[in-house]
Amino acid sequence: MQMLHQLLTLSYWEIRRFFSTMSRDLLPLSVVLLILLVVVSGFAAQSGMHLQDGLYQIGLDKPEYLDIVGYDPRYLTYDTSSYAAANPREVGVDLMIQYGQIFRAQGEKARAAQKSLERDYQAYTDRVYQEQEDLFAAYPLWIENDYVISELDFLATQGGQQLVVPGQAALEAPEPELPVILVDPPLSSVPADSELLRMSLSDQMAKDQDINRYTGMLAQQDTLDNPYKIPSLLSPPLPFDTIIFIFVFIFPLYFTSQFFMMSIMNERTLRQGEALIAAPIRPIILVLGKMLPYAVGMIFIVSAILCSVQADIMAIFPLIPVILFFLAFALFIGMIARSYKELSFISIFFSTIATSYLFFPSIFANVHIVSLLSPITLVVHVIQGTGYTLTDYIYATSLFYLTSFILFAICIRNFGEEQLFTESGIIQKLTLYLSGLISMRNWWFSLFFIGIMCIPFVLMAQMMYLVLFFNLPMPASLLLIMLLAAWTEEIAKAAGIIALIEALPSFLNLRVLIIGSAAIAAGFLFGEKLLLFVTISQISDSVFGAALFLSIGMLWMPFLLHMVCVLITGAAVLYAGKRALPFGLLLATIVHLAYNLYHLQGWIW
Amino acid sequence: MNLKRTWIIARKELRGLASEKTILLAILLQLFIALFSSFLMVGLSAMYDPSAYGRVSGVQYGVGITGNDTILPGLLEDNPSFVPYEMDLSVALAALKERKLAAVIWAGGTLPDDNGPVTLTLYTIKNDIQSAVIEVKLKETFLKYEQMLRDIRKDRITEEPIPLRPYRLVTTNTFYEFIYGLLIPLLLFMPAIISAGLVIDLITEESQQQTLDTLRTTPAALIEIIGGKIGACLILIPVQACLWLLLLSLNRILIANLAEIILLVTLSSFVVILIAAIFALHYQDRTKAQFIFSTAAVILLLLALAFPNNPLNLIALLAAGSPAPYHGAVLLASAGLCLILTIIVRVVVRNSSRV
Repeated sequence: MQMLHQLLTLSYWEIRRFFSTMSRDLLPLSVVLLILLVVVSGFAAQSGMHLQDGLYQIGLDKPEYLDIVGYDPRYLTYDTSSYAAANPREVGVDLMIQYGQIFRAQGEKARAAQKSLERDYQAYTDRVYQEQEDLFAAYPLWIENDYVISELDFLATQGGQQLVVPGQAALEAPEPELPVILVDPPLSSVPADSELLRMSLSDQMAKDQDINRYTGMLAQQDTLDNPYKIPSLLSPPLPFDTIIFIFVFIFPLYFTSQFFMMSIMNERTLRQGEALIAAPIRPIILVLGKMLPYAVGMIFIVSAILCSVQADIMAIFPLIPVILFFLAFALFIGMIARSYKELSFISIFFSTIATSYLFFPSIFANVHIVSLLSPITLVVHVIQGTGYTLTDYIYATSLFYLTSFILFAICIRNFGEEQLFTESGIIQKLTLYLSGLISMRNWWFSLFFIGIMCIPFVLMAQMMYLVLFFNLPMPASLLLIMLLAAWTEEIAKAAGIIALIEALPSFLNLRVLIIGSAAIAAGFLFGEKLLLFVTISQISDSVFGAALFLSIGMLWMPFLLHMVCVLITGAAVLYAGKRALPFGLLLATIVHLAYNLYHLQGWIW
Repeated sequence: MNLKRTWIIARKELRGLASEKTILLAILLQLFIALFSSFLMVGLSAMYDPSAYGRVSGVQYGVGITGNDTILPGLLEDNPSFVPYEMDLSVALAALKERKLAAVIWAGGTLPDDNGPVTLTLYTIKNDIQSAVIEVKLKETFLKYEQMLRDIRKDRITEEPIPLRPYRLVTTNTFYEFIYGLLIPLLLFMPAIISAGLVIDLITEESQQQTLDTLRTTPAALIEIIGGKIGACLILIPVQACLWLLLLSLNRILIANLAEIILLVTLSSFVVILIAAIFALHYQDRTKAQFIFSTAAVILLLLALAFPNNPLNLIALLAAGSPAPYHGAVLLASAGLCLILTIIVRVVVRNSSRV
C-alpha cells in the first residue's frame, strides 16, 4: 500500500515536472509549427516532390513529342530538328527522338532515360486512348485479379518449394493431391458504364506514375471499387499500408520514449537525482514511478491512433510489448550515456535498428510466416479484419517482453549512485552493469544466470539476420546467417566472463575459467531450449532453425561446443589480457561455425 | 571574435567526439539506412524481377487456362517462360493452391470483334512474391493480346497516338534514378541532420551541466565558444560527405562535379546547423530544442522539396552530370542565408551574455 502511494507520488511529480518544463515558451511555437507542418505538407503534396527535375536531356525533332515528355519534369527538352542524323552524344543530350525513333547515347544514364521515356510513352498512349469515344475499342482487354490463399512457412523454402523461383513445368497438366472443391466461374462483366470506368482508369494511372518512377514494377494498392484493370496497369501491389502503419505507430512511441530518456538523463546531470536515490524508496518504485506517466501516455497515443482508423481494440495488445521495449531501452540509454551527444547517437541508432526489426518482417505480411516475427504484423492483421491467435501473439511478442523485462531488471538493479554518476564509455558501463549481477559467493550461479539472460537478446539479433537474409539464394543465406549467428552467440557468452573479471579482478584462473565456462554454457543451453520450446517451433524445425539454434544433435554435444567456445575466448583473455578479446572471439566463432557446418553438411553439399 | 580561440574550442569538441567514439555509431547508422533503403528498392524489385538473378533463364511457369475459347494458350506458348495447360477451373485452382501451377487464367466469353470488353480473370497466390514475378511476366503477354484485339477493333478508334519506338532496346533493369535521384541526395544530407542534432547537444550541455560558467572564466568570449561548437559540427559535414562519395565510388557509382557537390552540401548544411544553434541558444534545454528543431527540420525539408532546384535536386543534377543552371544562384542564396543566420546567432549570444 505504501509502495503504491510512493509510486503514484513519483508519477505525479514526473508529470508536473514534464509540464513545467514543456510549458509557456514552448507551447505557442509548437502550435505554430504544427499548423505550418499541416500547411506545408498540403502544399508539398500538391506541388509534388522535386528531386529529379531536369535529370535527363532530350532532343525532339518535332514539337508534337512534347505531348509525351512535356508533362515529365525529369526531362529538359531541346529542339534538335536542325541536327538531322546526328547522334545524341554529339548534340550533348541523353536521348533524341528522330523520325519516330528513340536514339540514345552510351551509358547507364541514357539507358535510364530511355526506360523512363518508355514509361512516359505508355502513359501518353493511355491518355490518348482514354479520350476515345469507344473505350472498349481502345481498351479491348480487361483483367481482374483474384487470389488463392496458400501460406508458406520456413519448411517450404528448404523443401524444394522456393519462394522466388519455381521448378520446371511438366508437359502434362499437374494434378492436385487434395480433393478438388468445385468453384463457380467468375461472372465476366465489366461495369457497363464506360464513363465511370474512364474515371477509375485515369485515377489508377495517376497513382501508378508516382511509384513507377523508381522500379517500374510496383504499384500502389488499388482502393477503387472497380476490380478490372487494363494490362498496362497490371502491377503487383506493394504492401503500402504496412509501411505507413509502421511509421504512424513507431514515431509517436519513439518521441515519447525520448522524453523519458531525457528525464532519466536529467536526474544524472549535476547529480540532481541524488536526493531521490538517497530517499528510502526502493529503486524499482523509483524507476516504475518515473516511467508510469510515459507508459500511460504511449498507450493513450496508440489507442487514439487505433480509434482514428477505427480498428478493433485487439490491436493494442501487440503494441504493449513494443511500448515496453522502447521504454526499457530508453531507461537503459538514459542511464549509460555520458553526454547529450552520446545520448542522441545511441538513441537514434537503437531506434533505427528497432524500427527495422519491426519493419522488415511486416513487409511480408500475409506472404510468409517470417512476418509474424513482428508484432506490427498482428496489428496489420487486426486492421485487415483477420485477427490473430494466442500462438501468433506469443510467437511475435515473447522476445519483446523478455528482452524488456531483463533490461528493466538489469537497470533497476544498477539504479544506484555508483552506476548512475560514473562517467565511462558504453562498453565499460555495460561491463559494470553485468558485474553488478555477479554475487561473490555463488559466482558460478551468477554466470549460469547471465547465460540464460543473454538468450532473448541473442535470439532477437538472430531473428534480425533471418529476416534480412532468408530470401537470398539458399547456400549463401544459410552461410551468412550461420556466421553472424555464431558471432553473436560468442559475444553474448563472452559477456559472462568479462563480467566476472570486472567484479572479481584477480579471481580468474584456469580452474575458475573451466567451471565458469561450464556454467555459462549450461545457462545458455537451458535458456535456448526453454525459449525454443515455448515460442519458435516453426522456425527451429526448418534448416534455418538448425543453423541458428543448433537444435539437432544430442544435448551434450552443443553443451560441449558452447563450453569450448567460451573457454577459447576466456583463455585468450586470461593469458593475453583484455586486448586479446577480439582475437579470442574470432577463434571461437570459427570453431562454432565449423561445428555448425559439419552438422548441416547435407544441406550445403 | 578571435579565430584562434574559436579553433581551440572546436578542437576540444572534436576531441570529445573522437574519445567517445559515438560518431562511429552515427556513421554505422547511415550505412544501415543506406542498406535499408537499398533493400526496399533494389532488393524488393530484384525479388520481383527474376532476371536480376540471372540464373532463372530456364525456368518455366505452368499456367492453367480455363473458361471459354481463347487464343491465349498460343500466345503463352510463344513465351519460353510459360507452359499453358487447358484445364477445368476447379481442378486448376486446387493445383494452384498446392503451388503446382504458377497462375490460372479464366477467359470470359466475349468475342474479339464484339462491342464489349474481352475479360480475363487472373488467379494467383495471395500476396506471394512468386506471384508478383509471374504477374510481371504475364503482363507482356497480355499487352500483346491487347494490341491484337485493338488491331481487330481499330476501325472504331478515332485518334491514334504518335508512333514512337526505340532504336535499341533497354533490356536490363536500371536503378540509376533511384541511386542518383534519391539515394545520393539523401545520403549527403544525412550529415546535416546529424550535425544539427549535435550542435544542440553541445550547446545545451554546457548550460544544463553548468559548465558554461567555467568556460567563460577562460579568455574565450561566449561568441567564440558558440562559434567553436558550430565550427566543429560544420567541419564534420565535408568529412562525412567525402566519406560517402568515396564509398559510392568504390561501388563503381560515378559522381560528377565532386567539388561543387561538397561546397553545396556544406553551405546548405551550414544553414541547418545555424538554425539548430539558434534554437539551442534560445531554449538552453536539450529536450525543448531538439523537439522544436526536429519539427522545424521536417517542415523545412518538405518545403524545400516542393520547389524545383532545391539543394537536394541540385545534388542529383550535379552528381549525374546534368546541367544545373541555378547552381550558382542557390549557392549564393545559401551563403546569404548563412550570413543572416550568423548575425542572428551573434545577436542571441550578445543578449544572453548580458544576462
